[in-house]
Amino acid sequence: MRFLLTALLTLTVLTASASAAPVRIGSKQFTESVILSEVARLAARQAGIPVQHLRELGGTSILWSALQHGDIDAYPEYTGTLTHELLKNVTPDADIATLRAALKPLGIGITDSLGFNDTYAIGMREDRAAQLGIQRLSDLAAHPDLRFGFSNEFMDRTDGWPGLRQRYGLTQTQVRGLDHVLSYRALSSDAVDAIDLYSTDAEIPYYHVRTLDDDKHYFPHYDAVYLYRLSLQHSSPAFLEVLQKLAGRIDESAMRRMNAEVKLQGEKETAVAADFLGVSPDTDGAGWLSRLLQRTAEHLKLVFISLTAAMLLAVPLGVFSARSARLGHVIMAVSGVLQTIPSLAMFVFMIPFFGIGTWPAIAALFLYSLLPIVRNTYAGLVGIPPHLRESAAALGLPRGVRLRRVELPMAMRSILAGVKIAAVINVGTATLGALIGAGGYGQPIVTGIRLDDIDLILEGAIPAALIALAVQALFEGIEHWLTPRGMRLEARD
Amino acid sequence: MPITSNPLSEAFALSGVSKRYDTVVALDNVTLSFSAGSTTALVGSSGSGKSTLLRLLLGLEWPDQGVVRVDGRVLGKDDVLALRRRVGYVIQDGGLFPHLTALGNLSLLPHHLGWNRERIRQRAEELADLTNLPRGVLERYPAELSGGQRQRVALMRGLMLNPDALLLDEPLSALDPIVRYELQDELKPIFDQLGKTVIVVTHDMAEAAWFAERIVLFRQGRVVQDGRLADFRDRPTDGFVTRFFQSQRRLGESSV
Repeated sequence: MRFLLTALLTLTVLTASASAAPVRIGSKQFTESVILSEVARLAARQAGIPVQHLRELGGTSILWSALQHGDIDAYPEYTGTLTHELLKNVTPDADIATLRAALKPLGIGITDSLGFNDTYAIGMREDRAAQLGIQRLSDLAAHPDLRFGFSNEFMDRTDGWPGLRQRYGLTQTQVRGLDHVLSYRALSSDAVDAIDLYSTDAEIPYYHVRTLDDDKHYFPHYDAVYLYRLSLQHSSPAFLEVLQKLAGRIDESAMRRMNAEVKLQGEKETAVAADFLGVSPDTDGAGWLSRLLQRTAEHLKLVFISLTAAMLLAVPLGVFSARSARLGHVIMAVSGVLQTIPSLAMFVFMIPFFGIGTWPAIAALFLYSLLPIVRNTYAGLVGIPPHLRESAAALGLPRGVRLRRVELPMAMRSILAGVKIAAVINVGTATLGALIGAGGYGQPIVTGIRLDDIDLILEGAIPAALIALAVQALFEGIEHWLTPRGMRLEARD
Repeated sequence: MPITSNPLSEAFALSGVSKRYDTVVALDNVTLSFSAGSTTALVGSSGSGKSTLLRLLLGLEWPDQGVVRVDGRVLGKDDVLALRRRVGYVIQDGGLFPHLTALGNLSLLPHHLGWNRERIRQRAEELADLTNLPRGVLERYPAELSGGQRQRVALMRGLMLNPDALLLDEPLSALDPIVRYELQDELKPIFDQLGKTVIVVTHDMAEAAWFAERIVLFRQGRVVQDGRLADFRDRPTDGFVTRFFQSQRRLGESSV
């Protein structure tokens, strides 16, 4: 136990000293956002400012609250998201000056547009559109037989298909829901005539898609910007200057090209961003081995702290459950309910309390570890034969001594089995920590899934599996060592 | 609370004690007393309430009606810890804790009371000699002991603090006949020599008579007869006593 604690403390110190408070920029869990944050990071590095990029933290709500809580200092966002989702008191067509004024009371600043608008658009195959003479969305009204394939989200949103149909007086009836991943292929194979898309999709040039002009200005503007904490004006004005200088520098075709290089050609975001800025890419966390070591440290830190805390609470809870049937029911029910919360939701629930990063992940893992340990402590204690429990009482030992010297040692095997189950589950579940900025083996898995890169997924999955096996073996050793020898013997007759 | 060994005084007593578990009546209005330094055997078939009686005397159970007195004082919940330390209790399979060696089992209570290692070992070896247990066996775990050794260790555990009384609940019932016979032979002089108040529960009339002059026969929670062996044979109080007495098979009998 002392060895584990020492190892744990060392890990904590190592990871803490590795991040000596540079500026932190976050990104959402899609390629364009990661590229934009890499562009900002590399531009800042060029100016001699150390910046840490917390990659792929999750969706809008996570980044937005992380920025407000100061877990990150900046991240790329879109004006349409601000007007439609994040800010309550602005009109949908608010310009950047209006948004800047609305954000100021929140302590948040906004750059000017980076130079492109990543909004919804409707696209057709270039040849088909040319053949029918369609340039603008208004032109669609003249072709009621066209077949549309729209993403499910676009079909449902009021600012999607229903509103579009009304604004342009469209009468097409052949409208199908499609997964966005498949829509370009459906278009290219002539299964549909038009699809919804994002105007900077990498696939647009690849599939020779014409995006139709929104001549009645139906779709809201999704101008790309950086949001930042106004406190940067004092803490790192140089970084702020870098961000502001990026405004207007990335146009739609540049963004589309960068997206394509990552998504279609398998380049790294860092390389693509460096290429755009005309700088040399850095190694971003040095070599393969140091990346692995850092992730291992992050991962083990999550598991050890959460597990240690869970043991400290769950064993007493198990003891109380075994003492009082009524209390036991309540404790079991609560820890059982905790276990049924989907793990992703559990991680997100922790954000309001702990922000993003290591601590919410530890809190979520802690809650998950309770049930196996409580349950096995309880089972181990109630499994002690009644005549032995009574023998201890009849000796004249006080309750606490009975628990410590007789009951817990006899239940030790079961308790350790519970801790082992919790630990192995924890190693697996901790990979989700990457989604809220806790790092660990989940980081390459998350990136690998986004980029459909099996090698990258394995870079996280294999060590996670190996650690799970190692934890299992470790606990079997501890179990053997801590289980009293007499408990392992078979009775002689 | 000392349980005096003044032979005239009353060590344990029950008056009007009833105890039931759900619908099963374990003891039904029992009044009995045990004088200090005496040896008494409680006999009866299983479920007749004799084990419950021992548990009541230790405060492991509490009567639904009536009172239990120890040394003339009504037993209360605050007295039990002190009481249990003055009474050795041995159950059928010994009740040894499997995670501790024989010596570990013996040490539990003395260790808690602050005895040092040397004193504990000395006392354990003294008792090993008394109960004919080879000293080397003290280092073994219960699972490594024979049935007879286990019961010896259990008795030693009960005697560690040199208690005033010994309560034995079917202490030899789980043993094979030869070992049982040996132990009966060995225990009898120990009880006589220690001069403690002994109450032994058994379902075997011969064993009861071997250990004790006074025998109390139970049936369905009531005392049927209380007396010497000769009284049971010569002056049975009812037909059950005779049947119980005669149902103990003797060698030489055959079913033909």
